[in-house]
Amino acid sequence: MILDLHTHSIRSDDGRAKVGNYCQWIRKKQIPLDGFVLTEHRQWDDSSDYRHLEDEYGLVILKASEVETDYGHVLVFGVNDDLVNSFDFAKIDNPLPEVLEAAERCGAFAAPCHPGRKNVGLFAHYDVKGPVEGVHTVEVLNGGSIPGEDELSVERAAEHGYRSFGGSDSHIVSRIGFCATEFEDNIGDIDDLVAALQGGRFAAVNLREPV
Amino acid sequence: MRYEDVDLGDELPSEHPDISMEKILIFTEAAKMKFPRFIDHEFARAEGLPGALVPGIMSQGLLAAMIHRWAPGCRIRSLDTVFRAPLVVGTTPTVTGAVTDTDDEARTAEIDLIVTSEEGRTSVLGTALVAFD
Amino acid sequence: MTKPDLDAIKAEWIGTEFDHANFTIKVEDMVNWAEACGETDPRFTDPEHDDFQAHPGFTTHLVTRRVLPEEFPKIQGRGIDGGKSVEVLAPVRVGDELRASATIADIYDKTGRSGTMVFIVQRMSFVNQNDEPVSTVDWKMIRNVVDQA
Repeated sequence: MILDLHTHSIRSDDGRAKVGNYCQWIRKKQIPLDGFVLTEHRQWDDSSDYRHLEDEYGLVILKASEVETDYGHVLVFGVNDDLVNSFDFAKIDNPLPEVLEAAERCGAFAAPCHPGRKNVGLFAHYDVKGPVEGVHTVEVLNGGSIPGEDELSVERAAEHGYRSFGGSDSHIVSRIGFCATEFEDNIGDIDDLVAALQGGRFAAVNLREPV
Repeated sequence: MRYEDVDLGDELPSEHPDISMEKILIFTEAAKMKFPRFIDHEFARAEGLPGALVPGIMSQGLLAAMIHRWAPGCRIRSLDTVFRAPLVVGTTPTVTGAVTDTDDEARTAEIDLIVTSEEGRTSVLGTALVAFD
Repeated sequence: MTKPDLDAIKAEWIGTEFDHANFTIKVEDMVNWAEACGETDPRFTDPEHDDFQAHPGFTTHLVTRRVLPEEFPKIQGRGIDGGKSVEVLAPVRVGDELRASATIADIYDKTGRSGTMVFIVQRMSFVNQNDEPVSTVDWKMIRNVVDQA
């Protein structure tokens, strides 16, 4: 099963994609995705309900968050009320160890995204401050990466023995599915996703058409 | 191009617009923004920039021109662009677009827009809403 | 460097109308703008065309004397243009006398490749001499506060 684990909609300040348009684009372009996860910036979008789109398009559409920490950006899957009350999703400098601890405690899954990126990637901070305990999984393929960033992510993730996943980081419709994650398990809801991520049976995949 | 000819998923013909210094000088004069960071490579580099920059609103104009060539006579109702990375004057960018939604009642199309630098970096991302008679 | 209190700034400034300006639209600017952008549609390049009008983004360059309110807090950092969006409500024609008002529409912070950034969204609303709304422009001004790493 292939899911794009990192996408943004118009709910994110720099997102320009409507979720329904993502769905119809995936079907029209025959992108080999079984679904996607909306990881809105600095918020937990509790109110949006995409179940009707799931039914209409036969896609799994899940919600998560992209939060900001003192070690760069982190995707958080399995957000619940306990986690929302554990730290401020709107802050741009949440201490990473606190985010990781809170996710673990609340049954969620937190993983740094685009770790090879300057300033907002994990490894740039590792170079200055050293590694953080509690990181076990990172996003190594990101559809918004510039040349060199994904390569750095892959290399450093391997050095640290981190598991790897992929996501498009799409902010417009036509960028969805550039990168994704292939799971061995079937995923129908967010609990399945968190369990699959915790289980480690997945791999990052590049779905971009060759130039 | 009539509305009936527009389909979800259609890609606009990509273009490599002219962003030579000659064009930038004309644009910045018209836009009353003849600032050195746009028209002087040395000044721009001294400021830590990679060279003289194409004004963001000119990139927006390049995208509008591409839309008008794809669908002559169409009316752009909105243009929304995020400036992500500098575009250097005198280089060769690529502008692309794709139809991401259509509305039969309103006879409009939503279009994704991208300006990519010659190094392959996304310089501008955006969307447009285009109306047809 | 002291971090700005964005919540306080937002509470005080969002929605504040802080400046006005008038603009006369000139044919040479309209034509030069369009041609510099590589436009080939005569609606935007030929003043003799029945439907000659300004390029869709033309009003994005029109600014009030102040881009921020006079007493707006000084946020240190390099200024970056984060993007512009324009809603085209009606064609802008040669000789139009546009009146614009400027407000602060939003303020927020985020981090990116450039480091910590404060975004200030300034909104300009334009009406013509007949009081018809012709465009709304949102301008994302960024103050690049500091590199995190």
